[in-house]
Amino acid sequence: MVSATATEAIERRVRDALEGVADPEIPACSVADLGMVERVAVTHDAVEVDLLPTFVGCPAKDLIGDDVRRAVERAAEGRAVQVRFVYDPAWTTERITARGRERLRGVGIAPHWDRPSGPVAVPLMATSRVPCPFCGSADTVMESSWGPTPCRAQHWCRSCRNPFEGFKEKA
Amino acid sequence: MPDDPRLDLLLSLADDELILGHRHTEWTGWAPYLEEDLAFSSIGQDEIGHARLLYELAEPLAERDPDAQAFGRTPEEYRHAILCERPNGDWGYTMARQWLYDEADDVRLAALEGSSFAELAAAVKTVRLEERYHLEHAREWFRRLAGGSVEARQRFAEGLEAALPEAMALFEALPSEEELLAGGAMPRSSEVLLAEWLERVGRDLEEASLDWVLSAHQRAGGEMVPTSSGEIEAGPTLTVPGVKRLEGRWVHVGGFAGSGGRRGRRSEDFGPLWEEMTGLYRAIPGATW
Repeated sequence: MVSATATEAIERRVRDALEGVADPEIPACSVADLGMVERVAVTHDAVEVDLLPTFVGCPAKDLIGDDVRRAVERAAEGRAVQVRFVYDPAWTTERITARGRERLRGVGIAPHWDRPSGPVAVPLMATSRVPCPFCGSADTVMESSWGPTPCRAQHWCRSCRNPFEGFKEKA
Repeated sequence: MPDDPRLDLLLSLADDELILGHRHTEWTGWAPYLEEDLAFSSIGQDEIGHARLLYELAEPLAERDPDAQAFGRTPEEYRHAILCERPNGDWGYTMARQWLYDEADDVRLAALEGSSFAELAAAVKTVRLEERYHLEHAREWFRRLAGGSVEARQRFAEGLEAALPEAMALFEALPSEEELLAGGAMPRSSEVLLAEWLERVGRDLEEASLDWVLSAHQRAGGEMVPTSSGEIEAGPTLTVPGVKRLEGRWVHVGGFAGSGGRRGRRSEDFGPLWEEMTGLYRAIPGATW
């Protein structure tokens, strides 16, 4: 019989391990920072981790799943490890943790933004009100909904004249 | 053993997304400018991702893994609407098709959020958070082309004329629709969804003074899709498909142009797409990278 404290200790180690698994497309952030960890369950012989992809078609998904499995196996003390992607609930930008938001701003990515309401022009030069991750100004425009990854859009700061990226709002 | 009717539903949704997603990605490197290159690459990636999610839901019913479903079927085993396999053609056609398709997708996904098939209802909720960016993209281009230069408007109208008849066939009844409706997996029938969609696109076309493309469509009519064996399907589907204005609403009458997609009927445009899309899978089964 394994005590509850033992499984709790493993769960803590697993969660710590998840803090160390970087998102391959945003190495400054871990999968935990981005709010992708939906569930960790530890039993006497198994560890299950459910992850939420930021975007359903994220091409880095398989890579992230493999990285998570390897990290969790190191923390699982021989328990069988199962890592799954689940889609319920949906991942939203609100799930990004306070530390994740700080780290994203540190690499020039706005973590969350309010969508402009009503019609916008093409190319999407609408004022998007996303605070610039560099100078904090709200005098910014969204240049395109489409960026280097499906989950990010491109913006421009009119105050400090820097381009920056922002997570697409999903809420 | 007869197939689970839910497989019919999943494959119609997944195959639409996979095949149109594949067409979208053909703009990578060729779109009119960089932003659109990125837009269609991203939208294609999203759609193919949605297809994969639906193939995962279908896995226990199809007894085939997602890759085998996406790439391991013969052309006649796909269940997408013929609209999705048509070549991208002119930018006007591309944007007309994307607009018609994404409005249609929004109508059917909104209905499926209430599906009794709980896993599908949950997946649809997640998918819709991403689809709204596609819809926004299409609606921006609708405004831009419909309100643009004479040439832009003309080419968009030509695209609409070409895409509209086959877009209606997105709502052709599924082979096992009766069972899907009875079990609540489909909360509303294809016929009801078609009416909802026509009301929506009809209103937008009227506002843009482009609703003549709906009436023009009544004259175009006819069945113009040879099967891959070259045979032209005869019978009731040959009745002239059309849209009529009745009591202030646009309603669908008659058959469907480009019908039969949901039963595996393919146009000659599908062969080359299928050859390319499944080439690696067929050459090296089980390949990973």
